[in-house]
Amino acid sequence: MLNEERVILMTKLASYEASDGKRNVAIGSYFRVDYIGWQVLKSIISATIAFVVVFAMYIFYDFEIFMMDIYKMDLLEFGKSVLKTYAVVIITYALISYVVYAYRYSKARKSLRLYYMNLRKLSGMYSNK
Amino acid sequence: MTTLLVAKQYMKLFYSKYEIYITPFLKFLLAFTALRLINSRLGYMAAVNRLPIVLIVALMCSFMPTNFIVIMAALFILLHLYAFSLECTIVIGAAFLLMFLLYFRFSPKDTAVVVLTPVCFVLKIPYVIPISMGLIGTPTSAVSVACGIIVYYMIHYVNVNVSLLRGMTEEETAAKFKIVIDGILNNKEMVVTIAAFAVTLILVYIIRRLSIDYAWTIAMAAGAFVNVMVILIGDLMFDTNVSILGTVIGTVVSLLLTGILQFFVFHVDYSRTEKVQFEDDEYYYYVKAVPKVTVTRPEKQVKQIAGQKNNRSIR
Repeated sequence: MLNEERVILMTKLASYEASDGKRNVAIGSYFRVDYIGWQVLKSIISATIAFVVVFAMYIFYDFEIFMMDIYKMDLLEFGKSVLKTYAVVIITYALISYVVYAYRYSKARKSLRLYYMNLRKLSGMYSNK
Repeated sequence: MTTLLVAKQYMKLFYSKYEIYITPFLKFLLAFTALRLINSRLGYMAAVNRLPIVLIVALMCSFMPTNFIVIMAALFILLHLYAFSLECTIVIGAAFLLMFLLYFRFSPKDTAVVVLTPVCFVLKIPYVIPISMGLIGTPTSAVSVACGIIVYYMIHYVNVNVSLLRGMTEEETAAKFKIVIDGILNNKEMVVTIAAFAVTLILVYIIRRLSIDYAWTIAMAAGAFVNVMVILIGDLMFDTNVSILGTVIGTVVSLLLTGILQFFVFHVDYSRTEKVQFEDDEYYYYVKAVPKVTVTRPEKQVKQIAGQKNNRSIR
């Protein structure tokens, strides 16, 4: 005989596994520090590439003037200001990433806790049969 | 109204029954419309400006994740621009790269808006986007909408300045580069639209979350009003030459369209609202329960006439 409650629970679990569950299980397989650290590192790499792209556009924007000024300007000072801007951009973006991924991790853990509880409940239903 | 509610029930039943076909079809439709619009607006590369190619790519998009449509649309834009001008490709390609690296890295769930926003702009109903995203999205959707607006205005810029960019020689590469960047960054209309849409979206979101009756309707009306006001103030401050009549008509049409969205997503009966109050060890709960408006589908009665002797009705 079909156990209606069990079928409903199994459907809910399967639907969760097919949607958010897959991502949450992947997140849940990491320790908090590892997950957030890895994501922030990826964000730093992304932001670095983005910074290089913007810097290249900035140089190309006034390329002729830049080439004329390059011999007159204090290259060390210019390099320092570029590095300072880079540091500000990276720190800001890394902080945003940290907040986003810390929130996602705690949300995924909470949702996984409920999922595993339901799995145990399902397993209990089979053993009580 | 009852007829509409019955129709809604039928549509829900139809969707749940054929969801496996309807969702890919809708993705196909979105991809096909977006790619056709890109081809009609830019269309410089003959190899991709062909219906069979668009059909094949749209078919691919129909069974891939929604983000794939965004990638394909970006690829089509860059291919057309490459055939037109290398400088435009570099500038717009850099803008796309920044969007992908900085925002889409967080893989938001509403990336489809980046494609839908330019499509709605071309269809002259852009104001439907901030209002509907405020109703069904979150405040972060404002970033996705802003990306969509930037994409539209970049394409629009190239489209409007074709003759100017074509007239420049190969030696003027640096100047061309500067003109394209200036044209995109100094577009005040784009900045005003981004500001107006962001304010509208956040306002609609805040109001629709309030615990007041008719929150959705009030949010839509307030959003539409604020949208028009911000665009008009932006026009006065930056002289963006926005058509006031067009903005008002576009907003009214968008309001009607979001009314349809509200009917399907959030149709409740405030006259039967129940307010209950209870407590447990940790909290007091003040719960406001608003029932959904639902009707039961009429059951079909099939009367079979099979001769004079066996006259009976079957359900």
